[in-house]
Amino acid sequence: MESEGAVVELVDLSKTYRGRRGGVHAVRNVSISVGAGEVYGFLGPNGAGKSTTIRMLLGLIAPTGGEVRLFGEALRSNPRTLRRVGSLVDGGAFYPFLSGRRNLQVLARTHGGEGADARIDPLLEQVGLAHAAERRVKGYSTGMRQRLGVAAALLHDPDLVILDEPVNGLDAAGIQEMRMLIRNLCDEQGKTVFLSSHLLHEVQQVCDRVAIISRGEIVREATIAELLRQDEGLRIEASPLAMAQSALEGRWAVEPDGGAIRVAATQEEAPEVVRRLVGAGVDVFGLAPERRNLEEVFLSITQEDPDA
Amino acid sequence: MLDAVSAELLKFSRHRATWFLIWIYPVGFILLFAIAIAVALSGALPESPGTPSTAKWIENTAAVWYVPPHTLGRYLIAAFTAVVFAGEYGWNTWKLVVLHRRRPALIAAKYAMVLLLLYGAVLFTALLSVVLTWASDHLTGDAIPPGITPAAILHEHGMRAAVTIAPVLLTIAYTSLAAILTRSMIAAVVIAIVIGTAEQTFTAFAPLLSVYAPRLIWGLYQVLPGYHLENLGSWIVEGKAFEARFPRTGVVALGWATSAMAMAAWIGGLMLLTLGSFRRQDIN
Ligand SMILES: Nc1ncnc2c1ncn2[C@@H]1O[C@H](COP(=O)(O)OP(=O)(O)OP(=O)(O)O)[C@@H](O)[C@H]1O
Ligand SMILES: [Mg+2]
Repeated sequence: MESEGAVVELVDLSKTYRGRRGGVHAVRNVSISVGAGEVYGFLGPNGAGKSTTIRMLLGLIAPTGGEVRLFGEALRSNPRTLRRVGSLVDGGAFYPFLSGRRNLQVLARTHGGEGADARIDPLLEQVGLAHAAERRVKGYSTGMRQRLGVAAALLHDPDLVILDEPVNGLDAAGIQEMRMLIRNLCDEQGKTVFLSSHLLHEVQQVCDRVAIISRGEIVREATIAELLRQDEGLRIEASPLAMAQSALEGRWAVEPDGGAIRVAATQEEAPEVVRRLVGAGVDVFGLAPERRNLEEVFLSITQEDPDA
Repeated sequence: MLDAVSAELLKFSRHRATWFLIWIYPVGFILLFAIAIAVALSGALPESPGTPSTAKWIENTAAVWYVPPHTLGRYLIAAFTAVVFAGEYGWNTWKLVVLHRRRPALIAAKYAMVLLLLYGAVLFTALLSVVLTWASDHLTGDAIPPGITPAAILHEHGMRAAVTIAPVLLTIAYTSLAAILTRSMIAAVVIAIVIGTAEQTFTAFAPLLSVYAPRLIWGLYQVLPGYHLENLGSWIVEGKAFEARFPRTGVVALGWATSAMAMAAWIGGLMLLTLGSFRRQDIN
């Protein structure tokens, strides 16, 4: 993606939290770029650094290294670009002593933009909170807060919507609605969406592209289709295994897999794999294409960390 | 900016703290006044002390202005300021609003809102006081002293209001800084009370303390805000400097401009520190 049209650009972004017992490197040299109109997934296990990255993106915390660029402008020197951003972090924190509607009114005035007040009722309707709009947020359930958070994120019609774990706490219907809402933001309204999740299948269903973050570092960035393709492989039973492995290494990635080996080759390459093995004097007992499901892909990617 | 102030008003006009710490002025006044009337009407008091002088009558209606600049009033202001500034950390709501405005503007809107609510409530109470005193004199058949004109009332109230400005702003300034730095309402209130008490105690006892370290105390006395608050009040009400006698070093009696500048520096400095601290703060 060329940086011209990038809505979000993170350049070598790092954050170290200082503590008594040394620092926590929550985010290390993260560089990604999100194009206009994309739904971009930020995927990683608990504690990977997703929320930390999102907080830097939103100007809530200052990076200890690198830079955030929004709409082509450095956030540090131009914080006003944040007015084009809507966000949902921490499951929607609101003024507990105010009603849902009043919370949105406060936000509309804080923003000061045109037309935000008029959008309150339609948004409350859209997120399914019209019936509870006059109730104090103190009494809202987790899912209701999350829904109000979505309304708050969309209140001033932002061009970029940033959602930290948007489906946390939602029921099945809520999750379905959220998916449709996110796709709709992108497909119908042309907005760019950046969302984080620790659930791969969530990301798989709505995102165009994903970055996988683990221990503060981006370990892979790809479209969902690419991710799947990268993890096509062949499971080969052969003897001796060590010889088989050395015959294939250098051409494909090979890893031991129980009493067999797993070769990162496509099914089309199977004949070549077999020729090489036979040429090296290896006995082949079995060969099967293997496509791991995405959950396994995700697990293998996030666990292949060297210091794991 | 008006939008941001109005957002703050919308937010806090519904908060319980506003009832206890702001509307307490008119509510408290009405309660006290009702009790006073009831006592007067019951005839429990032996003899009516007679018609007060014109000056005394007007001064009585301005009593509410004595609350904000003094101990209890300053604690109330500190508590409200702590809720307004530190509350956002407790409710986790800074992250909701910081996208929408520059951070300094959010802080400035809070200052404006606190002042607007506080002075709104006190001014309303002062107005109520004039109207009710006048009405109750009619009701109880007491004579209203002659020579009471709107101009005379305005003059007295204006003078009393002017006295409140520096102490109120100072209290708001150090409490807001404590709130931003500690991110805790309780901590901010405690710090504000400690600072307020220390400042008032030091100002009162500095001449006595000065026998132990004459130069140091003498210097501190003229740098810390306590004396300047007293001095400004004295200039406004009596038209002359507040004189503090120090046994070893002499008399402190400064011009009003010096004290005004000292207070502007303290208040401005603390507010700028608040803005600066918040600008760079990580909101987790
Ligand atoms: N304020 C903080 N002070 C110190 N360390 C922190 C702070 N916030 C986060 N961390 C640490 O930074 C790392 C990344 O945390 P972060 O919240 O960004 O993860 P996450 O990917 O959002 O995880 P989750 O899925 O659990 O929300 C963790 O090791 C966490 O302990
Ligand atoms: Mg998180």
